[in-house]
Amino acid sequence: MQEMLRVEKLKMHFGGLKAIDGLDLVVHDKETLGIIGPNGAGKTTLFNCICGVYKPTDGKIFLKDEEVQGKEPFEMARKGVARTFQISKPLRDISILDNVVAALGINEYTGFGSILKKSHKKEIVDKALEIIERTGLKEFKDKKAREVSLGYLRRLEIARALAINPLLIMLDEPCAGLSNFAINEVIDLVMQLKSEGKTIVLIEHNLPISMKVCDRLAVLNFGQKIAEGTPKEIQANPQVIEAYLGEEDDDHVNA
Amino acid sequence: MYFTVVAVNVGIFVLLALSLNIIIGYAGQSAMGHAAFFGIGAYTSALMTSTMGISFWISLPVALIVTGIIGAVLGLISIRLKDDFLAITTIGINFVVVAIFQYSEIFGASLGMTVSKPLFFGVKMTAPMYLTLIFILIVLTCLFINKMNKSWFGLALASIRNDEMAASSLGIDVNKYKVLAFTLGTAIAGLTGAVYAHFMTFIYSSDFAFIVSISIISMVVVGGIGTIKGAIFGAVLLGVAPELFRFLADYRMIVYGGLLVLMMRFQPQGLLGDNSFIMRNISKIFANIKKQKGGGQNAGNA
Repeated sequence: MQEMLRVEKLKMHFGGLKAIDGLDLVVHDKETLGIIGPNGAGKTTLFNCICGVYKPTDGKIFLKDEEVQGKEPFEMARKGVARTFQISKPLRDISILDNVVAALGINEYTGFGSILKKSHKKEIVDKALEIIERTGLKEFKDKKAREVSLGYLRRLEIARALAINPLLIMLDEPCAGLSNFAINEVIDLVMQLKSEGKTIVLIEHNLPISMKVCDRLAVLNFGQKIAEGTPKEIQANPQVIEAYLGEEDDDHVNA
Repeated sequence: MYFTVVAVNVGIFVLLALSLNIIIGYAGQSAMGHAAFFGIGAYTSALMTSTMGISFWISLPVALIVTGIIGAVLGLISIRLKDDFLAITTIGINFVVVAIFQYSEIFGASLGMTVSKPLFFGVKMTAPMYLTLIFILIVLTCLFINKMNKSWFGLALASIRNDEMAASSLGIDVNKYKVLAFTLGTAIAGLTGAVYAHFMTFIYSSDFAFIVSISIISMVVVGGIGTIKGAIFGAVLLGVAPELFRFLADYRMIVYGGLLVLMMRFQPQGLLGDNSFIMRNISKIFANIKKQKGGGQNAGNA
């Protein structure tokens, strides 16, 4: 299988805190890889390193054989790495449609020259509407992003990610804080992307969800990968049970 | 004559408000030292016409470009700073620039600079001619901003204003666009400064002091941040008000300051801003008119 993303001996240290400490990871073309692990395991930090938000302390990141660690976030986006945010970041005071149009403009943000180029051309708006339809946002297209609920904002993030025509889609807890109904809708959307052959990396706290959606899972703890494999293998892995599943069980007992 | 002079002054404020609005309204950057760039344009053109004897009409674009370049350089230095840090830095820039005007011999130091009246086809420019010039500049600026808002550039600024991290995840080079917005806004302020200097025929460092920056910010905020109509309305309102309330002249800054506090508390989007009290009612009235018209037609059909 072809490799889409390879992370080699990645380290991200914040002073004394080793958020990621020597992580190796491979994402294959057209697969859905789940990243799981307890709070503070380094999942979002890993995303931020791959997307260029953080410059890694050490190690390498390859996107389709090209070395990309330390690039700026906008460069990573243009290279085809799309992401959603755990705390959703809509462009609040513009419409849902404009949010998607803004993402479609990914290769148009060239500087002063972009003043001369109209953004809402018919073909762009049509393309945006098609994505909006696909992500189930049609009835809200003219609403400002601040006026729609969290479930729809999560879909908007996915819509924007699709709009940049990505090689790799990275979803950071797309279901966190949603109602069961909204969770199912987001899962359906992710399954749909998966069936279209998109390459997806998914951070998901909720184990049943990641087991259902992902082809493979990588388990992080204290910035290191403690296990990797199919959902079944992970479920049976004693280290994982201790670090992750066990902890959850304790919570249930305490509760 | 009195009316024309007031109108020119208001027009200058309109241009300043429109230009600052690009930076704080569209790009969402807290720039607090706009008067510095107004001053850089004024002194640049004054030096050209009155010291070097170059035509006023050449000094206009030069003031625009020179101020834009200085704005870009200062923007590059300070634009990585966010919100309150950027605000404090730009206030600092305002004080430094004013101090340079005040202490440099070349700028007339503490005596200020006398600026020669420009000629227009051999005739000395009169107040109505200035008014026409400013009106043309306002129209051009509005057309430009309107075009910008409908372009990818405008969408990039809107994205940055909303969320820098989200903007960069859409392929927007956030720092570059912030500097570009800063360059555009300061360049137009510089152009305005050139017109101002030649209209007043005398400039002094305190014409461009921090308090002037606060006035321009008040205009943008009171009128409606991030809209053309808001910036114009705010500049006209706060530009004309001191003339109407002459007896309050000494307390103008108290009125401005008080207005800012009230606006932030009750109408942070400005009087004509998006979803403001006034705009809500205007759209209600329009909706009612539409309804009545529609209703009338339906009745006619029946």
